[in-house]
Amino acid sequence: MTDLRSAGVVSRGTAAVIDLIVVLVFLGVIYAGMVLAVLAFSPRAFSFPAPSLIFSTIGIGAVATVYLAACWSISGCTAGAVAMGLRVVDRNADRLRWSTALLRAAACVLFPIGLAWVVLDSRRRSLQDLVFGSRVIYNRVGMLNS
Amino acid sequence: MPSAVSVLKHPVVSVAAGAGAVAVHGLAACYRTATRLPVLGQPLDRGVSALSRRGDHVIAVGLEPARMLLTSVVVQIVQQVLDQLDLTALVRDRVDVNAIARDIDIDAIIARIDLIGLADTVIDGVDLPTIIRQSTNSVTAEVMTDVRTQGERADDLVSGIVDRMLGRRGDTVGPPR
Repeated sequence: MTDLRSAGVVSRGTAAVIDLIVVLVFLGVIYAGMVLAVLAFSPRAFSFPAPSLIFSTIGIGAVATVYLAACWSISGCTAGAVAMGLRVVDRNADRLRWSTALLRAAACVLFPIGLAWVVLDSRRRSLQDLVFGSRVIYNRVGMLNS
Repeated sequence: MPSAVSVLKHPVVSVAAGAGAVAVHGLAACYRTATRLPVLGQPLDRGVSALSRRGDHVIAVGLEPARMLLTSVVVQIVQQVLDQLDLTALVRDRVDVNAIARDIDIDAIIARIDLIGLADTVIDGVDLPTIIRQSTNSVTAEVMTDVRTQGERADDLVSGIVDRMLGRRGDTVGPPR
């Protein structure tokens, strides 16, 4: 069964680090795809693409936002959340709506330090949770099924 | 009780045997003399020859049924005897199994066995991939459970420290596990 205990900062921070690694792997795959595409279409003028810092930052933010929003709205669990046995839900313990998930993901990407509020909040809510009414709970169903 | 050898060496037996031998010899001499008689000898010889051929025929025809009958009787007797015997107990009491086992050449037996083929058969029957897959899944599940449990304990530890620092009760995160 799924209990509704809110997860603390250690579990959520670990899950965030795992998600960051997943996003970086995604970006690596995208970069490798770009390199192969350039090599395929113009092999003579090939050189490794060197995206600017702004482009890379925007790319990381966009990929992370889409990844987090998709995972939260589809299952409530990102890869890090699955590893740590967590799930993101709304006030009624249901999955987040697409719009809420997208806004929460953007907020988490733009202001990741909001997670630190989990330590101080008595109900273990981050600033994003306070704004969007979400919760991160321990997902025991995932543990039993794994 | 007199033995068979002493009985055979008894004078009466020797006399009887001698008398029998003389009688047989006499009969043979009489038969030879009779077959040389001018009128009686040739029919007698033919009659004896006919009797001999008839005897050979009877023996040739009657031998196989007699042999089968004798075989079936012997088989029945042997089966009855075997039914009455406890062969296991008999072997245990009468046979030195250890002595037989000592004489067995184990190396020769092993040399005749295809050990690699036997091992392949055993491995095929054991289904190793399934065992490895199940054990791997079990280990993975245990590791994941352990990591999650440790994370939850660390969460509670941090919350407990912060709650004590802020002087509040730590029971607002939901029902305990």
